[in-house]
Amino acid sequence: MALATRIEPSILHKLAKYAPESENSVWADLRAKSLKELNSTAFPHRKIEEWIFTDLRPIVRTDFVPLEEAGTFPATDIEKYFIPESDRSRLVFINGKFHEKYSSIGGLGKGVTVGNLADHSDEEEVQKYLNNLVNYEDDVFVQYNALMFEDGAYIHLEKGAKAEAPIQVLNLYTDAKNPFVATPRMLVVSEEESDVTIIEDHIGLGENRYMTIPVCEVKVKESAHIHHVRIQRDSIDAIHVSRPIAYVEKNSEYHSYTITLGAKLTRNEPRVIQEDEEVDFTLDGLVLIDGEQIADTHSVMDHRFSHADSHQLHKVVVNGKAHSIFNGKIFVRRDAQKIDSFQENRNLLLSDDGLVNTKPQLEIFADDVLCSHGATIGQLDPEEVFYLQSRGMTEEKAKEVLTYAFALETIENVKVESVHKLLIDEVYRYTKANSESKVTV
Amino acid sequence: MLEIKDLHVEVEGEGIEILKGVNLTVNKGEIHAIMGPNGSGKSTLAKIVAGHPEYEVSKGDIMYNGESILEMDPDERAHAGVFLAFQYPVEVPGVTNNTLLRESYNTIAASRGREELDPLEFDDYLRDKLELVDMNPDFLERSVNAGFSGGEKKRNEIFQMAVLEPTLSLLDETDSGLDIDALRIVADGINKLHGEDDAVVLITHYQRLLNYIVPDHVHVMIGGKIVKSGGKELAIELEEKGYDWLETHATVNGEAK
Repeated sequence: MALATRIEPSILHKLAKYAPESENSVWADLRAKSLKELNSTAFPHRKIEEWIFTDLRPIVRTDFVPLEEAGTFPATDIEKYFIPESDRSRLVFINGKFHEKYSSIGGLGKGVTVGNLADHSDEEEVQKYLNNLVNYEDDVFVQYNALMFEDGAYIHLEKGAKAEAPIQVLNLYTDAKNPFVATPRMLVVSEEESDVTIIEDHIGLGENRYMTIPVCEVKVKESAHIHHVRIQRDSIDAIHVSRPIAYVEKNSEYHSYTITLGAKLTRNEPRVIQEDEEVDFTLDGLVLIDGEQIADTHSVMDHRFSHADSHQLHKVVVNGKAHSIFNGKIFVRRDAQKIDSFQENRNLLLSDDGLVNTKPQLEIFADDVLCSHGATIGQLDPEEVFYLQSRGMTEEKAKEVLTYAFALETIENVKVESVHKLLIDEVYRYTKANSESKVTV
Repeated sequence: MLEIKDLHVEVEGEGIEILKGVNLTVNKGEIHAIMGPNGSGKSTLAKIVAGHPEYEVSKGDIMYNGESILEMDPDERAHAGVFLAFQYPVEVPGVTNNTLLRESYNTIAASRGREELDPLEFDDYLRDKLELVDMNPDFLERSVNAGFSGGEKKRNEIFQMAVLEPTLSLLDETDSGLDIDALRIVADGINKLHGEDDAVVLITHYQRLLNYIVPDHVHVMIGGKIVKSGGKELAIELEEKGYDWLETHATVNGEAK
């Protein structure tokens, strides 16, 4: 009875026929393989444990069209999203397509290669790592991205190279008549003792529905350091499904900070995989949502060897009818001793209709480890509100100040000045908007 | 200035009466001390005057400068000159002392029709006040009470009092957690801040603080009522005899529990 399981075709399966033709064999092989996988993988639904809390209707009920048929409007006034520190180290993608004229890559110094993946497909590192680092099993989103992407960000640091400026990877999504799907791609290979800061920014220029599926692979080799800031400012009706994964080798450091502000539905699945001893990594997140936004983070920190310091602070503020989901998996494999791992998920509920699901998930098979975790869901402490009121602040102002203070902790470690400031402004705007909406109700 | 009339107070929604008919009059220029054992209701009295939302007044009134303040929010009371130094000052990570104080000072100034101060002017203003409680200027850039020791928190409360210049200061166990040097500094600060146009209500367990701040009136609170009032010599009597003789006294009058 060798009957193949029939897959109910989803919108991604239907759009697969628009996959681009490829002249180079590496891309062609990848596409053929991805198409085959996609055609035998079902779209997720809420009966699967990993998707039990996540409402996928915004994806399922949207008739996405190929980008060419979306009727996109031009991207204008985009310079305001350029960060000054990356004046000469910036890659710009619009709806997933590389735009050389807005990009600028001259300012990084010796040993640093930055450019469009499509222009580097012959390179050894690209052939070795591209799509080989993603370990998301039976994942239609990764498969779809691998099938469809043409351009992407490629960042390579030679041994000992230090990027002289932070690299901004700016992903812009335009307004359009019809909803489209974009597939941004990123590959970062940081050789021994190299050092780089990456600002990955996703920005919706309109208020339209689109879906972006960014896939990002990072290889941090021995004694290399990466500081990775991910800012999600997609359009308020967008869908953002991202898969960023990093592999950390001996003595290396990888610190990642994800700030989720936009999109109607976000599903973020960051992963860090330990490949050798003596590593230090961070997987922090800040989620500020309101209205009917859904923001879901499913993370994995996989400790496979001894001597790791790992850190995850995931803070969430929920207002309106928004819904936050957090599942933080921490694996400590057998023989991975002397692990010092810390996970904290703190949720602040500002409204009666907001919803938070949180599920820390620690699976520890070694016996000499220190793993602490905590998850809290709460409202603003009335005693704190009273304290500030007794100092003359109105109740609204007191709540605004406390919300702002709650959120600020997660972005303190963002070390690029203009980005830090930008994030403070975003936090301020969120808390301000909230207190104003309450005053008028 | 402050007139509390037959005040009955319950915990909101629980129906448990904590204050059972408190009468107290505080005139400007005066210092009052309210003493009593744990759970007697003295901290509640301070919080209710400052407007804590957890409590509900079931009977009686609180008059401040001739008007009832029961319907006023805590911030409106602060604007009118009421200040509560907390027994357990709240930590507010992420908000610096400087930011909190400038925000507070300017809203209070605006509501009293006074000139707001710009950051530079405010900085000068703060420096003078810092000296009053012997605090390091570094305090200003630290988050409000975050990681402060118990003594530092209490000193910070008095520093805030110095900056905000209230007309009625309710100091809730400001002496607890202070070593003898810190106690002297805090007491000196309070003495310097106190003048003929403002009033201070000290809430304390022990007579110790009253060696440094001499009250005009001392009240003993037991079981939600003021059971005895007198001059500063009452505090000394309490130090010698404890509260037991007054608790008996309260029971004899048929008012215990």
